[in-house]
Amino acid sequence: MQNRIDSSLGTGIGLRAPHYRDLLDRPRCTDWLEAHTENYFGDGGYDLHALTTLRERYPISLHGVGLALGSAAGWSTGHLLRVAALVRRIEPVLVSEHLSWSSVAGRHFNDLLPLPMTRAALDLMCARVAQMQEALQRRVLVENISSYLHFARGDYDEAGFLNELAARSGCGILLDVNNLYVNQCNLGIDAAAVIDAIAPAHVEEIHLAGHLFTADAVIDHHGARVADEVWMLYECALRRFGRVPTLIEWDTDVPALDVLLNEAAAARRRHDAVNCGEACAA
Amino acid sequence: MLLEHLQVRFAAALLEPAAAPELATAIGAHVPQWRQLYRSHVQAAWEKALANSFPVVRALVGAEFFAVLAREYARMHPSGDGDLNRFGAHFADLIATLEHTRALPYLGDVAALEWSVQCAYYAADMAPLPRERAAAMLPQELLASRFEVHPAAAWIESDFPIATIWRAHLPESHVLLPETLDRHECALVARPGWQVVVVESSAAETAALAALRSGGTMDDAIGIALGLDPQFDFARTFVRWLDLDLLAPAPVL
Repeated sequence: MQNRIDSSLGTGIGLRAPHYRDLLDRPRCTDWLEAHTENYFGDGGYDLHALTTLRERYPISLHGVGLALGSAAGWSTGHLLRVAALVRRIEPVLVSEHLSWSSVAGRHFNDLLPLPMTRAALDLMCARVAQMQEALQRRVLVENISSYLHFARGDYDEAGFLNELAARSGCGILLDVNNLYVNQCNLGIDAAAVIDAIAPAHVEEIHLAGHLFTADAVIDHHGARVADEVWMLYECALRRFGRVPTLIEWDTDVPALDVLLNEAAAARRRHDAVNCGEACAA
Repeated sequence: MLLEHLQVRFAAALLEPAAAPELATAIGAHVPQWRQLYRSHVQAAWEKALANSFPVVRALVGAEFFAVLAREYARMHPSGDGDLNRFGAHFADLIATLEHTRALPYLGDVAALEWSVQCAYYAADMAPLPRERAAAMLPQELLASRFEVHPAAAWIESDFPIATIWRAHLPESHVLLPETLDRHECALVARPGWQVVVVESSAAETAALAALRSGGTMDDAIGIALGLDPQFDFARTFVRWLDLDLLAPAPVL
Protein backbone atom coordinates (compact mmCIF):
# COMPACT_ATOMS: atom_id res chain seq x y z
CA MET A 1 0.00 0.00 0.00
CA GLN A 2 1.14 3.52 -0.76
CA ASN A 3 2.03 6.01 1.92
CA ARG A 4 0.19 9.17 2.75
CA ILE A 5 -0.28 11.50 -0.17
CA ASP A 6 1.72 14.66 -0.62
CA SER A 7 0.07 17.49 1.29
CA SER A 8 1.47 20.01 -1.20
CA LEU A 9 -1.19 18.95 -3.72
CA GLY A 10 -2.93 22.27 -2.98
CA THR A 11 -6.44 23.29 -4.06
CA GLY A 12 -8.31 21.83 -7.01
CA ILE A 13 -11.70 21.72 -8.66
CA GLY A 14 -14.16 19.03 -9.68
CA LEU A 15 -13.83 18.08 -13.35
CA ARG A 16 -17.18 18.61 -15.09
CA ALA A 17 -18.02 17.98 -18.77
CA PRO A 18 -18.99 21.62 -19.57
CA HIS A 19 -15.39 22.64 -18.70
CA TYR A 20 -13.49 20.05 -20.77
CA ARG A 21 -12.95 22.37 -23.72
CA ASP A 22 -11.82 25.28 -21.53
CA LEU A 23 -9.43 23.13 -19.50
CA LEU A 24 -7.97 21.48 -22.60
CA ASP A 25 -7.43 24.88 -24.29
CA ARG A 26 -5.98 26.78 -21.33
CA PRO A 27 -2.61 26.46 -19.73
CA ARG A 28 -2.67 24.85 -16.30
CA CYS A 29 -5.09 26.87 -14.17
CA THR A 30 -5.63 24.84 -10.97
CA ASP A 31 -3.55 22.51 -8.81
CA TRP A 32 -5.49 19.31 -9.45
CA LEU A 33 -8.74 17.88 -10.76
CA GLU A 34 -11.20 15.43 -9.26
CA ALA A 35 -13.33 13.33 -11.61
CA HIS A 36 -16.44 11.32 -10.77
CA THR A 37 -15.26 7.75 -11.33
CA GLU A 38 -18.50 6.43 -12.85
CA ASN A 39 -18.49 9.05 -15.62
CA TYR A 40 -15.42 7.34 -17.11
CA PHE A 41 -16.59 3.73 -17.16
CA GLY A 42 -16.96 3.77 -20.95
CA ASP A 43 -14.56 1.77 -23.13
CA GLY A 44 -13.63 5.00 -24.93
CA GLY A 45 -15.14 8.23 -26.17
CA TYR A 46 -14.75 11.92 -25.48
CA ASP A 47 -14.97 11.91 -21.66
CA LEU A 48 -12.19 9.38 -21.33
CA HIS A 49 -10.18 11.19 -24.01
CA ALA A 50 -10.54 14.47 -22.07
CA LEU A 51 -9.54 12.81 -18.79
CA THR A 52 -6.52 10.98 -20.24
CA THR A 53 -5.38 14.20 -21.93
CA LEU A 54 -5.83 16.28 -18.77
CA ARG A 55 -3.99 13.73 -16.63
CA GLU A 56 -0.82 14.66 -18.53
CA ARG A 57 -1.24 18.20 -17.16
CA TYR A 58 -2.90 17.75 -13.76
CA PRO A 59 -2.82 15.34 -10.85
CA ILE A 60 -6.16 13.51 -10.98
CA SER A 61 -8.31 12.27 -8.12
CA LEU A 62 -11.00 9.65 -8.82
CA HIS A 63 -14.05 10.14 -6.62
CA GLY A 64 -16.65 7.36 -6.74
CA VAL A 65 -20.35 7.76 -6.02
CA GLY A 66 -21.67 4.33 -7.00
CA LEU A 67 -19.74 1.65 -5.14
CA ALA A 68 -22.18 1.69 -2.20
CA LEU A 69 -19.59 0.31 0.23
CA GLY A 70 -21.99 0.03 3.16
CA SER A 71 -24.73 -1.98 1.43
CA ALA A 72 -25.27 -5.16 3.43
CA ALA A 73 -26.92 -6.94 0.48
CA GLY A 74 -26.90 -6.37 -3.25
CA TRP A 75 -23.22 -5.47 -3.32
CA SER A 76 -21.44 -6.68 -6.41
CA THR A 77 -17.76 -6.73 -7.19
CA GLY A 78 -18.49 -5.87 -10.85
CA HIS A 79 -18.52 -2.18 -10.04
CA LEU A 80 -15.29 -2.51 -8.07
CA LEU A 81 -13.60 -4.20 -11.04
CA ARG A 82 -14.61 -1.28 -13.26
CA VAL A 83 -13.14 1.16 -10.72
CA ALA A 84 -9.96 -0.90 -10.63
CA ALA A 85 -9.66 -0.86 -14.43
CA LEU A 86 -10.03 2.93 -14.48
CA VAL A 87 -7.49 3.35 -11.67
CA ARG A 88 -4.99 1.31 -13.68
CA ARG A 89 -5.65 3.49 -16.72
CA ILE A 90 -5.54 6.91 -15.01
CA GLU A 91 -3.08 6.28 -12.14
CA PRO A 92 -4.78 8.90 -9.93
CA VAL A 93 -3.09 10.58 -6.95
CA LEU A 94 -6.22 10.02 -4.83
CA VAL A 95 -9.10 7.56 -4.91
CA SER A 96 -12.16 8.06 -2.73
CA GLU A 97 -15.66 6.78 -1.95
CA HIS A 98 -18.34 7.46 0.65
CA LEU A 99 -19.39 6.31 4.08
CA SER A 100 -22.82 5.27 2.84
CA TRP A 101 -24.95 2.52 1.32
CA SER A 102 -27.17 2.46 -1.78
CA SER A 103 -28.40 -0.99 -2.61
CA VAL A 104 -30.55 -3.83 -1.39
CA ALA A 105 -30.84 -7.14 -3.25
CA GLY A 106 -31.58 -6.42 -6.90
CA ARG A 107 -31.99 -2.68 -6.55
CA HIS A 108 -29.68 0.33 -6.49
CA PHE A 109 -30.91 3.70 -5.22
CA ASN A 110 -28.10 5.69 -6.84
CA ASP A 111 -28.00 7.95 -3.80
CA LEU A 112 -25.72 8.21 -0.78
CA LEU A 113 -27.81 6.80 2.09
CA PRO A 114 -26.83 7.03 5.77
CA LEU A 115 -25.45 4.12 7.80
CA PRO A 116 -26.15 3.51 11.47
CA MET A 117 -22.98 4.17 13.51
CA THR A 118 -22.90 0.61 14.88
CA ARG A 119 -20.21 -2.03 15.30
CA ALA A 120 -21.90 -4.11 12.61
CA ALA A 121 -21.78 -1.24 10.14
CA LEU A 122 -18.15 -0.56 11.06
CA ASP A 123 -17.21 -4.22 10.53
CA LEU A 124 -18.90 -4.17 7.15
CA MET A 125 -17.24 -0.90 6.09
CA CYS A 126 -13.82 -2.17 7.23
CA ALA A 127 -14.27 -5.36 5.20
CA ARG A 128 -15.43 -3.47 2.10
CA VAL A 129 -12.68 -0.86 2.31
CA ALA A 130 -10.15 -3.68 2.67
CA GLN A 131 -11.64 -5.36 -0.40
CA MET A 132 -11.48 -2.07 -2.32
CA GLN A 133 -7.87 -1.38 -1.30
CA GLU A 134 -6.93 -4.94 -2.25
CA ALA A 135 -8.59 -4.65 -5.68
CA LEU A 136 -7.02 -1.26 -6.34
CA GLN A 137 -3.68 -2.12 -4.75
CA ARG A 138 -3.66 1.24 -2.99
CA ARG A 139 -5.10 3.19 -0.09
CA VAL A 140 -8.41 4.92 -0.54
CA LEU A 141 -10.17 7.79 1.24
CA VAL A 142 -13.70 7.55 2.65
CA GLU A 143 -15.92 10.64 2.83
CA ASN A 144 -18.52 11.67 5.41
CA ILE A 145 -21.94 12.34 3.83
CA SER A 146 -24.77 14.77 4.43
CA SER A 147 -28.06 13.14 5.40
CA TYR A 148 -31.64 13.85 6.42
CA LEU A 149 -31.50 11.53 9.41
CA HIS A 150 -29.21 9.85 11.86
CA PHE A 151 -30.01 6.44 13.26
CA ALA A 152 -30.61 6.07 16.98
CA ARG A 153 -28.57 3.87 19.32
CA GLY A 154 -25.22 3.92 17.61
CA ASP A 155 -22.03 2.60 19.18
CA TYR A 156 -20.07 5.61 17.88
CA ASP A 157 -20.56 9.17 16.84
CA GLU A 158 -19.56 9.95 13.26
CA ALA A 159 -16.05 11.12 14.16
CA GLY A 160 -15.47 8.01 16.28
CA PHE A 161 -16.72 5.79 13.46
CA LEU A 162 -14.45 7.45 10.90
CA ASN A 163 -11.43 7.29 13.26
CA GLU A 164 -12.00 3.58 13.86
CA LEU A 165 -12.56 2.89 10.14
CA ALA A 166 -9.32 4.66 9.26
CA ALA A 167 -7.34 2.99 12.06
CA ARG A 168 -8.62 -0.51 11.31
CA SER A 169 -8.71 -0.50 7.50
CA GLY A 170 -5.80 1.85 6.91
CA CYS A 171 -7.88 4.15 4.72
CA GLY A 172 -7.78 7.93 4.94
CA ILE A 173 -10.64 10.33 5.59
CA LEU A 174 -12.03 12.73 3.03
CA LEU A 175 -13.67 15.37 5.19
CA ASP A 176 -16.54 17.21 3.52
CA VAL A 177 -16.89 20.40 5.54
CA ASN A 178 -20.08 21.45 3.74
CA ASN A 179 -21.66 18.10 4.65
CA LEU A 180 -20.84 18.72 8.30
CA TYR A 181 -22.47 22.15 8.10
CA VAL A 182 -25.57 20.78 6.32
CA ASN A 183 -25.89 18.11 9.04
CA GLN A 184 -25.50 20.79 11.69
CA CYS A 185 -28.44 22.68 10.16
CA ASN A 186 -30.62 19.62 9.54
CA LEU A 187 -29.75 17.34 12.43
CA GLY A 188 -28.35 19.65 15.08
CA ILE A 189 -24.85 18.16 15.25
CA ASP A 190 -21.95 20.39 16.26
CA ALA A 191 -19.80 20.55 13.13
CA ALA A 192 -16.82 22.14 14.90
CA ALA A 193 -16.91 19.44 17.56
CA VAL A 194 -16.81 16.73 14.88
CA ILE A 195 -13.74 18.39 13.37
CA ASP A 196 -12.10 18.48 16.81
CA ALA A 197 -12.88 14.81 17.38
CA ILE A 198 -11.40 13.50 14.14
CA ALA A 199 -7.83 12.27 14.47
CA PRO A 200 -5.63 14.67 12.45
CA ALA A 201 -3.43 11.90 11.04
CA HIS A 202 -6.31 10.45 9.00
CA VAL A 203 -7.60 13.49 7.09
CA GLU A 204 -6.07 13.60 3.62
CA GLU A 205 -8.55 15.60 1.60
CA ILE A 206 -11.21 18.25 2.23
CA HIS A 207 -14.31 18.92 0.12
CA LEU A 208 -16.01 22.31 -0.10
CA ALA A 209 -19.29 23.01 -1.89
CA GLY A 210 -22.44 25.11 -1.79
CA HIS A 211 -25.81 24.17 -0.32
CA LEU A 212 -29.40 25.38 -0.59
CA PHE A 213 -31.77 26.45 2.17
CA THR A 214 -35.36 25.28 1.54
CA ALA A 215 -38.47 25.22 3.72
CA ASP A 216 -38.02 21.49 4.40
CA ALA A 217 -34.28 21.21 4.89
CA VAL A 218 -30.84 22.36 3.83
CA ILE A 219 -30.05 20.55 0.59
CA ASP A 220 -26.46 19.58 -0.21
CA HIS A 221 -26.96 20.46 -3.89
CA HIS A 222 -23.43 21.54 -4.88
CA GLY A 223 -24.92 24.39 -6.86
CA ALA A 224 -23.70 27.58 -5.17
CA ARG A 225 -20.61 29.29 -3.84
CA VAL A 226 -19.19 28.08 -0.54
CA ALA A 227 -21.13 29.73 2.31
CA ASP A 228 -19.41 31.96 4.91
CA GLU A 229 -20.16 29.48 7.72
CA VAL A 230 -18.50 26.72 5.70
CA TRP A 231 -15.43 28.87 5.08
CA MET A 232 -15.16 29.38 8.85
CA LEU A 233 -15.37 25.63 9.46
CA TYR A 234 -12.79 25.12 6.71
CA GLU A 235 -10.40 27.44 8.54
CA CYS A 236 -10.97 25.39 11.71
CA ALA A 237 -10.27 22.22 9.78
CA LEU A 238 -7.06 23.64 8.31
CA ARG A 239 -5.85 24.69 11.75
CA ARG A 240 -6.45 21.18 13.04
CA PHE A 241 -5.43 19.07 10.05
CA GLY A 242 -2.85 21.26 8.34
CA ARG A 243 -2.63 22.07 4.63
CA VAL A 244 -4.80 19.23 3.46
CA PRO A 245 -5.50 19.02 -0.32
CA THR A 246 -8.80 20.82 -0.86
CA LEU A 247 -11.39 20.54 -3.60
CA ILE A 248 -14.23 22.77 -4.80
CA GLU A 249 -17.24 20.71 -5.95
CA TRP A 250 -20.00 22.06 -8.19
CA ASP A 251 -22.61 19.75 -9.75
CA THR A 252 -25.92 21.63 -10.13
CA ASP A 253 -26.17 24.46 -12.70
CA VAL A 254 -22.44 24.29 -13.33
CA PRO A 255 -21.20 27.86 -13.94
CA ALA A 256 -18.27 29.10 -16.04
CA LEU A 257 -14.89 27.59 -15.18
CA ASP A 258 -13.66 30.92 -13.75
CA VAL A 259 -16.30 30.80 -11.00
CA LEU A 260 -14.86 27.49 -9.79
CA LEU A 261 -11.32 28.79 -10.13
CA ASN A 262 -12.23 31.84 -8.01
CA GLU A 263 -13.62 29.56 -5.31
CA ALA A 264 -10.45 27.47 -5.46
CA ALA A 265 -8.39 30.66 -5.15
CA ALA A 266 -10.44 31.64 -2.08
CA ALA A 267 -9.69 28.23 -0.58
CA ARG A 268 -6.04 28.63 -1.55
CA ARG A 269 -5.68 31.90 0.40
CA ARG A 270 -6.94 30.21 3.56
CA HIS A 271 -5.02 27.01 2.86
CA ASP A 272 -1.69 28.84 2.50
CA ALA A 273 -2.25 31.13 5.49
CA VAL A 274 -3.01 28.41 8.03
CA ASN A 275 -1.19 27.95 11.30
CA CYS A 276 -1.61 24.37 12.37
CA GLY A 277 -2.38 22.83 15.72
CA GLU A 278 -5.27 24.91 17.04
CA ALA A 279 -8.58 23.50 18.20
CA CYS A 280 -11.86 24.40 16.60
CA ALA A 281 -14.53 24.56 19.23
CA ALA A 282 -12.35 26.84 21.35
CA MET B 1 -32.00 -4.58 14.13
CA LEU B 2 -29.62 -6.29 11.73
CA LEU B 3 -28.00 -3.89 9.29
CA GLU B 4 -29.46 -5.79 6.36
CA HIS B 5 -33.00 -5.62 7.80
CA LEU B 6 -32.60 -1.92 8.52
CA GLN B 7 -31.58 -1.26 4.93
CA VAL B 8 -34.44 -3.34 3.54
CA ARG B 9 -36.93 -1.35 5.64
CA PHE B 10 -35.33 1.92 4.68
CA ALA B 11 -35.59 0.88 1.02
CA ALA B 12 -39.28 0.06 1.50
CA ALA B 13 -39.85 3.49 3.05
CA LEU B 14 -38.44 5.08 -0.10
CA LEU B 15 -40.36 2.84 -2.50
CA GLU B 16 -43.76 2.40 -0.90
CA PRO B 17 -45.06 5.68 0.52
CA ALA B 18 -48.27 3.96 1.62
CA ALA B 19 -46.55 1.30 3.69
CA ALA B 20 -45.32 2.32 7.12
CA PRO B 21 -42.28 0.13 7.75
CA GLU B 22 -41.12 -0.23 11.30
CA LEU B 23 -38.32 2.29 11.37
CA ALA B 24 -39.54 4.82 13.92
CA THR B 25 -37.58 3.44 16.86
CA ALA B 26 -34.44 3.13 14.74
CA ILE B 27 -34.42 6.77 13.75
CA GLY B 28 -32.65 9.44 15.77
CA ALA B 29 -32.32 13.08 14.79
CA HIS B 30 -34.05 13.68 11.48
CA VAL B 31 -35.67 16.16 9.15
CA PRO B 32 -39.47 15.60 9.35
CA GLN B 33 -39.73 15.22 5.56
CA TRP B 34 -36.82 12.78 5.26
CA ARG B 35 -38.86 10.18 3.36
CA GLN B 36 -40.10 12.65 0.74
CA LEU B 37 -36.66 14.21 0.40
CA TYR B 38 -34.88 10.90 -0.22
CA ARG B 39 -37.69 9.72 -2.48
CA SER B 40 -37.56 12.86 -4.59
CA HIS B 41 -33.73 12.81 -4.79
CA VAL B 42 -33.74 9.19 -5.92
CA GLN B 43 -36.51 9.75 -8.50
CA ALA B 44 -34.79 12.90 -9.72
CA ALA B 45 -31.50 11.04 -10.22
CA TRP B 46 -33.24 8.35 -12.28
CA GLU B 47 -35.25 10.85 -14.29
CA LYS B 48 -32.14 12.95 -14.96
CA ALA B 49 -30.23 9.89 -16.14
CA LEU B 50 -33.04 9.07 -18.58
CA ALA B 51 -33.34 12.70 -19.70
CA ASN B 52 -29.60 12.69 -20.48
CA SER B 53 -29.92 9.49 -22.48
CA PHE B 54 -33.22 10.30 -24.24
CA PRO B 55 -33.40 14.05 -24.94
CA VAL B 56 -35.35 13.59 -28.19
CA VAL B 57 -37.99 11.34 -26.60
CA ARG B 58 -38.30 13.97 -23.86
CA ALA B 59 -38.71 16.76 -26.43
CA LEU B 60 -41.33 14.71 -28.30
CA VAL B 61 -43.52 13.88 -25.28
CA GLY B 62 -42.83 16.95 -23.12
CA ALA B 63 -41.09 17.18 -19.74
CA GLU B 64 -44.21 16.41 -17.71
CA PHE B 65 -45.11 13.17 -19.47
CA PHE B 66 -41.45 12.18 -19.61
CA ALA B 67 -41.39 12.36 -15.80
CA VAL B 68 -44.36 9.95 -15.74
CA LEU B 69 -42.53 7.60 -18.11
CA ALA B 70 -39.42 7.81 -15.93
CA ARG B 71 -41.35 6.83 -12.78
CA GLU B 72 -43.03 3.97 -14.60
CA TYR B 73 -39.70 2.78 -15.97
CA ALA B 74 -37.99 2.94 -12.56
CA ARG B 75 -40.83 0.83 -11.15
CA MET B 76 -40.74 -1.79 -13.90
CA HIS B 77 -36.97 -1.86 -14.43
CA PRO B 78 -35.37 -0.94 -11.09
CA SER B 79 -31.87 0.43 -11.26
CA GLY B 80 -29.45 -2.36 -10.44
CA ASP B 81 -26.17 -0.61 -11.02
CA GLY B 82 -24.13 2.16 -9.41
CA ASP B 83 -23.41 3.50 -12.89
CA LEU B 84 -26.44 5.56 -13.93
CA ASN B 85 -25.29 5.61 -17.54
CA ARG B 86 -26.55 2.02 -17.75
CA PHE B 87 -29.97 2.76 -16.34
CA GLY B 88 -31.83 3.39 -19.61
CA ALA B 89 -30.93 0.11 -21.33
CA HIS B 90 -34.58 -1.11 -21.43
CA PHE B 91 -36.34 2.23 -21.84
CA ALA B 92 -37.07 1.67 -25.54
CA ASP B 93 -38.68 -1.71 -24.76
CA LEU B 94 -40.95 -0.11 -22.18
CA ILE B 95 -42.03 2.66 -24.56
CA ALA B 96 -42.77 0.19 -27.33
CA THR B 97 -45.18 -1.72 -25.07
CA LEU B 98 -47.00 1.17 -23.39
CA GLU B 99 -50.65 1.83 -24.23
CA HIS B 100 -50.45 5.59 -23.71
CA THR B 101 -47.65 6.16 -26.23
CA ARG B 102 -49.57 4.40 -29.02
CA ALA B 103 -50.38 7.81 -30.56
CA LEU B 104 -46.63 8.21 -31.16
CA PRO B 105 -45.84 4.89 -32.88
CA TYR B 106 -42.30 6.01 -33.78
CA LEU B 107 -41.34 6.74 -30.15
CA GLY B 108 -39.97 3.27 -29.39
CA ASP B 109 -37.67 3.34 -32.41
CA VAL B 110 -36.51 6.88 -31.57
CA ALA B 111 -35.68 5.67 -28.05
CA ALA B 112 -33.78 2.68 -29.45
CA LEU B 113 -31.83 5.07 -31.69
CA GLU B 114 -31.03 7.35 -28.74
CA TRP B 115 -29.74 4.38 -26.74
CA SER B 116 -27.48 3.46 -29.69
CA VAL B 117 -26.26 7.06 -29.70
CA GLN B 118 -25.39 6.86 -26.01
CA CYS B 119 -23.63 3.50 -26.49
CA ALA B 120 -21.72 5.05 -29.41
CA TYR B 121 -20.66 7.97 -27.21
CA TYR B 122 -18.99 5.60 -24.71
CA ALA B 123 -17.80 2.97 -27.20
CA ALA B 124 -14.12 2.04 -27.53
CA ASP B 125 -11.87 4.25 -29.64
CA MET B 126 -10.52 3.16 -33.02
CA ALA B 127 -7.83 4.75 -35.20
CA PRO B 128 -9.62 5.14 -38.55
CA LEU B 129 -8.23 4.20 -41.94
CA PRO B 130 -6.45 7.31 -43.25
CA ARG B 131 -7.92 8.62 -46.50
CA GLU B 132 -4.58 8.72 -48.26
CA ARG B 133 -4.02 5.09 -47.41
CA ALA B 134 -7.46 4.18 -48.74
CA ALA B 135 -6.80 6.22 -51.88
CA ALA B 136 -3.52 4.40 -52.45
CA MET B 137 -5.16 0.96 -52.40
CA LEU B 138 -5.47 -0.79 -55.75
CA PRO B 139 -9.03 -1.95 -56.56
CA GLN B 140 -8.08 -5.64 -56.24
CA GLU B 141 -6.40 -4.98 -52.90
CA LEU B 142 -9.43 -3.05 -51.61
CA LEU B 143 -11.86 -5.80 -52.65
CA ALA B 144 -9.79 -8.50 -50.96
CA SER B 145 -9.33 -6.47 -47.74
CA ARG B 146 -11.10 -6.95 -44.44
CA PHE B 147 -11.84 -4.00 -42.16
CA GLU B 148 -12.69 -3.33 -38.59
CA VAL B 149 -15.96 -1.39 -38.30
CA HIS B 150 -15.87 1.31 -35.61
CA PRO B 151 -17.19 -0.06 -32.28
CA ALA B 152 -19.45 3.01 -32.06
CA ALA B 153 -21.19 2.22 -35.37
CA ALA B 154 -24.77 0.98 -35.13
CA TRP B 155 -27.79 0.93 -37.40
CA ILE B 156 -31.52 0.75 -36.86
CA GLU B 157 -34.20 0.18 -39.47
CA SER B 158 -37.59 1.69 -38.75
CA ASP B 159 -41.00 2.15 -40.39
CA PHE B 160 -40.58 5.81 -39.44
CA PRO B 161 -38.05 8.53 -40.41
CA ILE B 162 -36.17 8.24 -37.10
CA ALA B 163 -32.83 9.62 -38.35
CA THR B 164 -34.58 12.76 -39.62
CA ILE B 165 -36.56 13.11 -36.38
CA TRP B 166 -33.35 12.78 -34.35
CA ARG B 167 -31.46 15.29 -36.48
CA ALA B 168 -34.33 17.79 -36.31
CA HIS B 169 -33.93 17.88 -32.53
CA LEU B 170 -30.21 18.66 -32.45
CA PRO B 171 -29.44 22.06 -30.90
CA GLU B 172 -29.54 24.71 -33.65
CA SER B 173 -30.64 22.10 -36.15
CA HIS B 174 -31.69 23.22 -39.61
CA VAL B 175 -33.31 19.86 -40.30
CA LEU B 176 -37.10 20.13 -40.29
CA LEU B 177 -39.38 17.47 -38.88
CA PRO B 178 -40.69 15.41 -41.81
CA GLU B 179 -44.22 16.28 -42.94
CA THR B 180 -45.29 12.68 -43.22
CA LEU B 181 -44.13 10.23 -40.61
CA ASP B 182 -45.03 7.03 -42.45
CA ARG B 183 -41.71 6.87 -44.25
CA HIS B 184 -39.35 3.95 -43.78
CA GLU B 185 -35.82 4.97 -42.79
CA CYS B 186 -32.58 3.28 -41.88
CA ALA B 187 -30.53 5.26 -39.34
CA LEU B 188 -26.75 4.88 -39.18
CA VAL B 189 -24.92 5.95 -36.00
CA ALA B 190 -21.24 6.87 -36.31
CA ARG B 191 -18.62 8.73 -34.27
CA PRO B 192 -16.28 10.75 -36.51
CA GLY B 193 -13.84 12.61 -34.27
CA TRP B 194 -15.50 12.43 -30.86
CA GLN B 195 -18.97 13.50 -31.87
CA VAL B 196 -21.77 11.01 -32.41
CA VAL B 197 -23.76 11.62 -35.60
CA VAL B 198 -26.85 9.99 -37.07
CA VAL B 199 -27.22 9.86 -40.85
CA GLU B 200 -29.83 8.40 -43.16
CA SER B 201 -28.71 5.08 -44.52
CA SER B 202 -30.09 2.17 -46.49
CA ALA B 203 -30.61 -1.54 -46.02
CA ALA B 204 -27.85 -2.15 -48.59
CA GLU B 205 -25.32 0.08 -46.83
CA THR B 206 -25.95 -1.34 -43.37
CA ALA B 207 -25.91 -4.92 -44.68
CA ALA B 208 -22.50 -4.19 -46.20
CA LEU B 209 -21.24 -2.83 -42.85
CA ALA B 210 -22.65 -5.88 -41.07
CA ALA B 211 -20.77 -8.13 -43.52
CA LEU B 212 -17.52 -6.25 -42.84
CA ARG B 213 -18.07 -6.35 -39.08
CA SER B 214 -18.55 -10.10 -39.17
CA GLY B 215 -15.21 -10.51 -40.94
CA GLY B 216 -16.15 -10.50 -44.62
CA THR B 217 -14.01 -8.91 -47.32
CA MET B 218 -15.02 -5.71 -49.08
CA ASP B 219 -15.91 -7.86 -52.07
CA ASP B 220 -18.33 -9.88 -49.90
CA ALA B 221 -19.83 -6.67 -48.52
CA ILE B 222 -20.39 -5.15 -51.96
CA GLY B 223 -21.96 -8.40 -53.19
CA ILE B 224 -24.46 -8.39 -50.33
CA ALA B 225 -25.30 -4.72 -50.86
CA LEU B 226 -25.83 -5.20 -54.61
CA GLY B 227 -28.07 -8.18 -53.88
CA LEU B 228 -30.34 -5.85 -51.89
CA ASP B 229 -30.04 -2.85 -54.19
CA PRO B 230 -28.72 -3.23 -57.74
CA GLN B 231 -28.18 0.59 -57.78
CA PHE B 232 -25.85 0.47 -54.72
CA ASP B 233 -23.18 3.10 -55.35
CA PHE B 234 -20.05 1.68 -53.73
CA ALA B 235 -17.67 4.53 -54.64
CA ARG B 236 -19.90 7.13 -52.99
CA THR B 237 -20.61 4.93 -49.99
CA PHE B 238 -16.92 4.16 -49.42
CA VAL B 239 -16.06 7.89 -49.36
CA ARG B 240 -18.83 8.43 -46.83
CA TRP B 241 -17.52 5.61 -44.66
CA LEU B 242 -14.11 7.26 -44.63
CA ASP B 243 -15.69 10.64 -43.80
CA LEU B 244 -17.53 9.04 -40.90
CA ASP B 245 -14.38 7.28 -39.57
CA LEU B 246 -16.26 3.99 -39.87
CA LEU B 247 -13.40 1.74 -41.01
CA ALA B 248 -9.98 0.69 -39.80
CA PRO B 249 -7.64 -1.91 -41.26
CA ALA B 250 -8.57 -5.28 -39.78
CA PRO B 251 -6.11 -6.35 -37.10
CA VAL B 252 -3.61 -8.93 -38.39
CA LEU B 253 -4.41 -12.23 -36.69
